Amino acid sequence: MPSVRQIRGRIRSVKNTARVTSAMQLVAASKMRRAQERVTGARPYAVKLREVLSGLVGGSSGDSESLHPLMLKREVRNVLVIEISPDRGLAGGLPGNINRVTGQFLMRTTVPTKVVTVGKKARDFMIRAGRDVHAVFTDMNDRPTLADTLPITHMVQELYMQEEVDEVHLAYTRYVNILVQEPVVIQLLPVDPAEFTSDEGSSDYIYEPDPAVVLNALLPRFLEVQVYQALLESQASEQSARMVAMQNATKSANEMADGLTLELNKARQDAITSELLDLVGGVAALEG
Amino acid sequence: MAEGAEGRIVQVIGTVVDAEFPPEQLPGIFNALEVDLKGEKLVLEVEQQVGNSWVRCLALGPTEGLARGTTVRDTGAPISVPVGEASLGRLFNVTGEPLDGLGPVDAKERWPIHRVAPAYEEQSMTTEILETGVKAIDLIAPFTKGGKVGAYGGAGVGKTVIIQELIRNIANEHSGYSVFAGVGERSREGNDLWHEMQESGVLGSTALVFGQMNEPPGVRLRIAMTGLTMAEYFRDTMNQDVLLFIDNIYRYILAGMEVSALLGRMPSAVGYQPTLSTEMGDLQERITSTKKGSITSFQAIYVPADDYTDPGVSTTFGHLDAVIALERSIAEQGLFPAVDPLTSSSRILDPNIVGKEHYETARGVQSVLQRYKELQDIIAILGMEELAEEDKVTVGRARRIQRFLSQPFFVAEQFTGREGRYVPTTETVRGFKEILEGKHDHISEQDFYMAGTIDEVVERASTREGAGTSA
Repeated sequence: MPSVRQIRGRIRSVKNTARVTSAMQLVAASKMRRAQERVTGARPYAVKLREVLSGLVGGSSGDSESLHPLMLKREVRNVLVIEISPDRGLAGGLPGNINRVTGQFLMRTTVPTKVVTVGKKARDFMIRAGRDVHAVFTDMNDRPTLADTLPITHMVQELYMQEEVDEVHLAYTRYVNILVQEPVVIQLLPVDPAEFTSDEGSSDYIYEPDPAVVLNALLPRFLEVQVYQALLESQASEQSARMVAMQNATKSANEMADGLTLELNKARQDAITSELLDLVGGVAALEG
Repeated sequence: MAEGAEGRIVQVIGTVVDAEFPPEQLPGIFNALEVDLKGEKLVLEVEQQVGNSWVRCLALGPTEGLARGTTVRDTGAPISVPVGEASLGRLFNVTGEPLDGLGPVDAKERWPIHRVAPAYEEQSMTTEILETGVKAIDLIAPFTKGGKVGAYGGAGVGKTVIIQELIRNIANEHSGYSVFAGVGERSREGNDLWHEMQESGVLGSTALVFGQMNEPPGVRLRIAMTGLTMAEYFRDTMNQDVLLFIDNIYRYILAGMEVSALLGRMPSAVGYQPTLSTEMGDLQERITSTKKGSITSFQAIYVPADDYTDPGVSTTFGHLDAVIALERSIAEQGLFPAVDPLTSSSRILDPNIVGKEHYETARGVQSVLQRYKELQDIIAILGMEELAEEDKVTVGRARRIQRFLSQPFFVAEQFTGREGRYVPTTETVRGFKEILEGKHDHISEQDFYMAGTIDEVVERASTREGAGTSA
């Protein structure tokens, strides 16, 4: 049985841990609220952009000659995957899940792959797995603007245009709600025209100077928004996962401290009892 | 000291009896006195000379019906028990009388149960390893021939089962003589052991002595010495290598505690007798190996309330060469034998004796398990996900090692429903080494549970896989 002092020490350390985790929970909660607002705030723009693009693609003819280069399917010889992960841990299963899903995707891919990582957890994972890491982005802004993700998008677009890679996928954690975050891998390039075949945004518009020019200008913008949106979703997911994880950690640390306190009381009482017994026994022996 | 001197009982306090003798004929310390109690012979042992021609004695039998004034006769000598080949295959009580109903013992010699320990120059130190076939023991706490081993554990963690498995694995393979002393344990176990030994055919080379729970404290205090005396005869006179099993040495201490206050001694720490370490030393120092022969002893030691700092328990620690600590938290997970690899130890776990490979494997196993223990708080609070990648691997291996340390026992077949396994030390070391190297990280944890060699684990995993693909 551990001594009273040992148990006291453990209780102290567990309580300190609980204090840290509950502070982290509060920080994550406030960050989460802001991240949530940004995700929901960015969505209308993405929806509208998609509508406009639908109108444009629906209007243009379907043959491959007239397709925009970013929409053109080529023979796949090289694949690039962008993985967006948190920089820091203590976010429950989230970093592990996105790494696992991306890892599985890479395993399934038969052609040579390159990776671009955003966030330290993805970087560490890919380096450990011995993947061909093309570029690393870390310490993304907590309140990112579109400008923060432009270097990523432009680099990837360039690689694609120079035909160094023939397909680009984006792995990130989709924010569903506080309790559910879903790791997903979507295809970024080539842009699939089938995505825009909704009947909304019918070609009631007249494009100036003509639809092709507008499409040329809008498609890169669409890519930028997709990457930006993915980063926002990932950040919201990270903060809510962290908040829940820290809440659970605080709870189990407190439970542990309670259990230890019970043990401490027992040990203390035991020590008192045996000392009393020794005293009483000694006195009785002297009297007898 | 006169043999045949007669006295009479003047005071009876439970199991402690005072008798008055004529002043010139006082019996000596440890002399056996005899009383006729309703036709039965009751033996008393002199413990103290209290003055007024009184001697204070310990009854080695029930004292019901004993009255003041009853005549006592001095036998002029301590209790003596039959020794030598005549004792083999027989079952004795503390005074050397047979309990098996097979008639009187035809012994050429009887030795007194109180003897002196061998002198310094007679003692010998061997470092020959004794294989037990139990993975957890052979790896972490290897036994020596002629050494002393203790199996510590609280109530119901499997001390007796370990002792019985050792009897099965060692005594049955061992060509020499064995002595089993049952001290204050369940009488049923004595009966089971007696029948099992008859069946396995080792009874012919074994002497058994029993002073179990139902006996008065005087019996439980002296029964270990009865068994030990028989073992000493084989060692000293017949120059044999003897195995001595004692289950349970703590009951010896407890019996001493029960009579201590009645004998008028002031209790010491936690109520133990003030003579605790003397009593333990008297017994333990006699269990030793000499140049003539050796006694390899296996002792079960009960740990009250799982408290290893208890004076009764810690007094025995110092006498042992190897310590097997049985841990309740391991037994609660269903992992048997519940040997705790972090607190069990052996004097000979040394690269010069067991070899470099064995030593490094054992230390490797301990460090992996130690790391797992340190991580457990983090896992409990933050969850497995927060561990670093290498720590996750460590945890996985530690869990596999914990399961691989379990092993089905021959003597526990009726409890586990699995056939027992005897694992040679080389196989044990190879198995744990492979786990440490990460060769078996892909095999599921449950395949390591209650297995024999590592090959059995691999085979289980492959049959499971085969069944999985065909299904």
